[in-house]
Parts: sequence; C-alpha cells; structure tokens
Amino acid sequence: MARQRVTGSQVAQVTIYGLLQGGLLALVAVGFSLVWGVMNVVNLAHGAFVITGAYIAWEINRAVGLDPFLAMVPTAIVLFVLGYVIQRGLVNLVVNAPIFITLLLTFGLNLLLVNGMILRYKANYQSIPTSYAARSLVLPGDVHVPYGRLIAAVIAIGLTLALAFAVRRTRLGLSILATGMDRGAARLMGIRAAHVYAVTFGLAAAMAGMAGAAVGTVSTFSPADAGRLTLFSFVAAVLGGLGNMYGALYGGLLLGLVEAWGGQLLDTTLVNVVAFTVVVVVLVVRPQGLAGRPFYASRVEV
Amino acid sequence: MRLKLAVIVALAFAVAGCGSKGEQTNTNVPTGTLTIGASLSSTGSLAREGILTKEGYDVCVNVVNGKGGVQVGNQKMKLEIKYQDDTSKSDLAGQLMDQFNDQGLKLILGPYGSGATAAAAASVERNGQVMVDSSGADDAIFTKGYKRTFAVLSPATLYATSMVEAINELVTPKPTTIAFISADDGFSKTATAAAVTRAQALGFTVIPPEFVPNGTTDVSSALTKIKPTNPDVIIGSAHLAEGVAIVKQSTELGVKPKGFAETVAPPTPDFVQALSKSAEGVLGSTQWTIKTKGTDKWFGSASDYAKTFAGQFNGREVEYHGAEATAACLALVLAVEKAGSTDPTKVRDTLAGLNEQSFFGPIKFNDKGQNLTKTMGVIQIQNGKPVSVWPKEAAEAPLKWPGNA
Repeated sequence: MARQRVTGSQVAQVTIYGLLQGGLLALVAVGFSLVWGVMNVVNLAHGAFVITGAYIAWEINRAVGLDPFLAMVPTAIVLFVLGYVIQRGLVNLVVNAPIFITLLLTFGLNLLLVNGMILRYKANYQSIPTSYAARSLVLPGDVHVPYGRLIAAVIAIGLTLALAFAVRRTRLGLSILATGMDRGAARLMGIRAAHVYAVTFGLAAAMAGMAGAAVGTVSTFSPADAGRLTLFSFVAAVLGGLGNMYGALYGGLLLGLVEAWGGQLLDTTLVNVVAFTVVVVVLVVRPQGLAGRPFYASRVEV
Repeated sequence: MRLKLAVIVALAFAVAGCGSKGEQTNTNVPTGTLTIGASLSSTGSLAREGILTKEGYDVCVNVVNGKGGVQVGNQKMKLEIKYQDDTSKSDLAGQLMDQFNDQGLKLILGPYGSGATAAAAASVERNGQVMVDSSGADDAIFTKGYKRTFAVLSPATLYATSMVEAINELVTPKPTTIAFISADDGFSKTATAAAVTRAQALGFTVIPPEFVPNGTTDVSSALTKIKPTNPDVIIGSAHLAEGVAIVKQSTELGVKPKGFAETVAPPTPDFVQALSKSAEGVLGSTQWTIKTKGTDKWFGSASDYAKTFAGQFNGREVEYHGAEATAACLALVLAVEKAGSTDPTKVRDTLAGLNEQSFFGPIKFNDKGQNLTKTMGVIQIQNGKPVSVWPKEAAEAPLKWPGNA
C-alpha cells in the first residue's frame, strides 16, 4: 500500500505536537543549561534529578492526592535543598578541577541516584494519573492539543521567562550572572561564589524536579529513563547554546519539532538520526548554538 | 575544543545506557551444591523485566530446595543461582557467559530478552555450556544451528498472531482494518511480520506497520500517520514503555480504534498501574495464565504455582515473566535429574529428548531448541486485571468488545 499524503490537518497536528513535546524537553533541559552556562559543570546526574522529581510528585499524589502540577511546588523545594546540599558539600570540592573530574563526579552521582531508585522502586514503570492530562482541546480539522502537554509547555516558557527576568533584574540573579562570567572578579566584588554556585545548582535541581512531575504526568517514567533525559538535556543545551537563559527553550522546541517532522516524513525509527544530524549541522554552522554566546562555549576547559 | 566536546558527548552517551557492572565472583561449585549461572538485567532499560525474571528463578530455587534439592545420581544437591547484572546490554550478557565458564559454571539460565539471549547463546555454544532460555522468543536465535540453547517459551511468531486469531474467532462483527505499531528490535519485528501475514490470510485489511525505536515513550509520529486510516484495531508489538505510550498518546491525539492489542506489555502489573482506566479492555498475549493446563511434581498445577509465588512475594499476583523463568529453571532441574549428572553434554542430550508436562504446559523441544508444543494465550484487562480470554478452553471470561468502551 502506498504511503498516504500528508494532509493539512496532519501538518498542524505534527507541528503543534512537536512544539508541545519540545516544550517538555525544554522544561527538562533548562536547569541543565543553567548549571553548564554558569558553573561550567556538565551535570550528568541531571536526568536522575528529573526522575527523582517524578517519584516525589508521584509519592505526594499517592499520599494526599495532590495534582501533579501543583505538586511541582513541594517537589521543587525538596529538589532545591537536595541540589544545594550536593553542590555545597560535593561538587564545590572539585569545581576548580578540570572538567573531567566534575564529569566523573556527576556520572558517579547519577549511578548512585539511579541504582538507589531501582532498589527503592524495583524499576517499575510509573505514571501519575490525572483526569485531564490525556484529554485534548480539539481544534478545527480534528487537531488535538493535549492538556497535560500544553500545561507543561506553558510552564516551561513561564519558567524560562522568570529565570531570564531574575537573572537580569534581581541581586541574586546578577550575582549568578557575574559568577558565571568571571568567578575571580565576582569574588573581589564581595560575592560568595560557593553560595551562588549552590543556589544555582539548587535552582537547576528544582527545575529538574518540576520537569519530572510534568514528565510523570504526560508519560511514563522509571529509573532507567534518567540517562535518556540527560542526553535530551545535553542536546537541547548544545542546540540552544550556553550563556542565554532562552537557549534551552529554543533548543528544546527545535528538537521537538525536528523529531516530530522527522518521524512524519521519514521512517519513525529514524527520529534520533534526524535529531542528531540537526545537532551536527547547527554545531558546524553556529558552534555556539542558536542563541548562545561564543564566550561560554569556548570556556569548556580540560 | 572538538576533542573536549567529543569526550563530553561520549560520556553523555555512556550515561544514557549506564548501569553497574555487577560484582565479580570467583567461587567454585561446592560439593553438594548445583550452581547455575544467570545473567539478568538488574539495571538499565530492561531492569523491570529482568527483576520479574529473577523472581521466577528465585521461586524455583526456593521450591526445589524446600523439597530437599535436586537428585543427581545418588546425591541430593542444593540448587543455587549465581546472578550477574548485564545492565540491559546484550554484548555484556555474552561476555558474562564467558565469565561463568571461567568459573566452571556450565549450566546457564537465560537472560531477559531476545537480544541478550542471542548474544548469550553464541557464547554458550562456543564454551560448551548449556542454556535454558526463559524469555528470548525471537525465532532468529534458533536459526543459527545452535545445539545448546533450549527455550521453554513459545516463539515470537506466536505473540501477535495469537491476538489476531483471538480477534478473528471471538469478535463480532469482525473488524476489517488492523494497524500495527512495532518496536524495531528483532523480537518485536518477528512478531509483527508473522501477525501481518496471518491477518492478511484471515482476510483483514492491514495498514503497513509503523516501526518505532525500541524503548521510546513517544510514538506520536506513528499514530499521526495511522490516524487517517481509521483502523478498527491497533496491534502494538512492543515492550512496556512503547505499549503504554501507544494507548496514552492515542487518547491525546484522538486516535480511536475499537480496541488495542499489545504483545508483552498488558500482562505486566505496571501496564495497569501506568494507564489506570485507559488500560481497560486492552488485549495482550501471554505465555502462561493460571488456567494453563498441566502439572509437575515440583510446582503442581498453574494455580498451585500462583499460590506459591504469592506466598513468596507478599501475596503479589504472578504474571507470565515469573512463570516462564520458573519453567526454564524447572526444565534444567528435570534434565539434570534425568541425566543423573551435571555434565553439560549429558544435560544437553537429556534436554533435547525431554518430554514433560508442567505447570507451564508441555515442555518438549524441537531440533532447533524451540518449544512448539505449548500454545500462547490471550488476556484482556478487565476491571484492572489481566483475565484469560483465549483460547476458549482456557478462558476465565468472555472477550469484551469494543475493547476501548
């Protein structure tokens, strides 16, 4: 049977779904990009933070029936504290070391978290049930906009805007920016770099936790997904570029669109090939990423 | 800069498939203990299924030792399984067979999944070990002329085909169009190809199968392509993650077949947990149900086995991953007893001629090492539980249709 032609409503459906999926990826990636941009730490445990957040939201939902999108708030608080403590007590010890050491440390941290969750939850696949997340707003042409993914995408955009505002307009945000630009100079200006780093890492972990609650609501999760989520974050951060709070958002949205259209026009099994080809092309044409600044990309030191 | 980025990319990929290597063991087989090697996915993407398989092996050890152990000639031997984590990587499963061989472990129980089993089977053949396969169903494993791998389970070709047969036999009015979404691993593709052929032979209109990456949680592209064809049934040849995504994203995208059928996902408890009410009515294929006919001296009937399993795991209901693992262990124990020896060649020859009834159904291997004497069953999720609906003689309840009502 010949392949059917793509209809107008399919074009709209694929584009909208791709953007929504991209919004979810952006939500997952925004914290990863922040830590990499500010601290020059590629946090390989980021996906494990996302899954930890998913489990916390799931536990809260099970215990008191709180809606997973509302459970993002307590989840973010728990993950902020966890992130702050891990940065202050662990990552800060090696933050001046070559990037390989921080990679190894976060790689080890990822193993600990993932295997800890497998011990605790037996690698079960879970999902946080809601009455509305899988239901859709139906647009003309039978184009479906699922509520769960729509909320996740709106939160991703809202968080990115809030982050961009906070970084430029608040004292703490400016200290984060300053420390990211030049740690030595920031210290000379009286900024406590260790504290600023810990807050940054805590914020990134909190956003990862929120992303986890969203992933757990619209999809399934298990500890084994941590690596895949870290990889998505990495790709979105590289695509979007470092040093710009909107980078992860652009990267995530582009990745979502590319995967959706790649899967539509080609064999669905080729989505990853298409996505990584786009990464390679972007890196060749614009090595600092879509919205990144060359200073941050060139700063990856060994 | 490029080198640095390459290193980061490499590490990111490493994280994507990371897991522990498992601890090294170097003990020899002590006198009076029958030690069997088993590589399982305790970590990585197949950890869930790996753990379910391990539970089945553990039930076997518990029951056999509880009844005094394995009679080998004049000696009673305690059964012990030495586990290693293959981190859900097929090549590592193959390497672990060599490690077991170095430790003198010649009797092997299979890893989880067709990929790992295929890799392990090659090593087992080379090392002169003998393996009973509990979950590697892909027919491709048995076309390579191996003489030392025996599968207790029905082959991949029967997984989706059994559901096509059930729909053809039990659903009125008969659906006309079937769409297939298949994961791109060997097992799922084999299952799909066989079911497509059977569905066409039975007169169904078959939409060309859509293939999705194994383990993906996003099948939206496949569904968007299928939607305009408005199929009566969507059959997913998929594991848990893809299986859940097919049902969940169909709701999101307004794809509304009269029913879903999926190969290995629905019988696992996680399927209902993850989908809650959306799981209702989904058909699934199963190697075993508590209605399976046959008994054996170790585990009794299928329902006796279910009680034994529940007793060992806090009242939890068994599903077929556990049962097929126990059956593989049972086949090995029966063969060792019949051979009166732990010598791998003697055990192999006994396995080749084995013809036994068990709680898992008949265990008898053809010259390729496959068990074609048992049939697959079809379950349907009814009131949140998998209920046997086909074949009719083993049905616990009638099939409900439309399945998505």
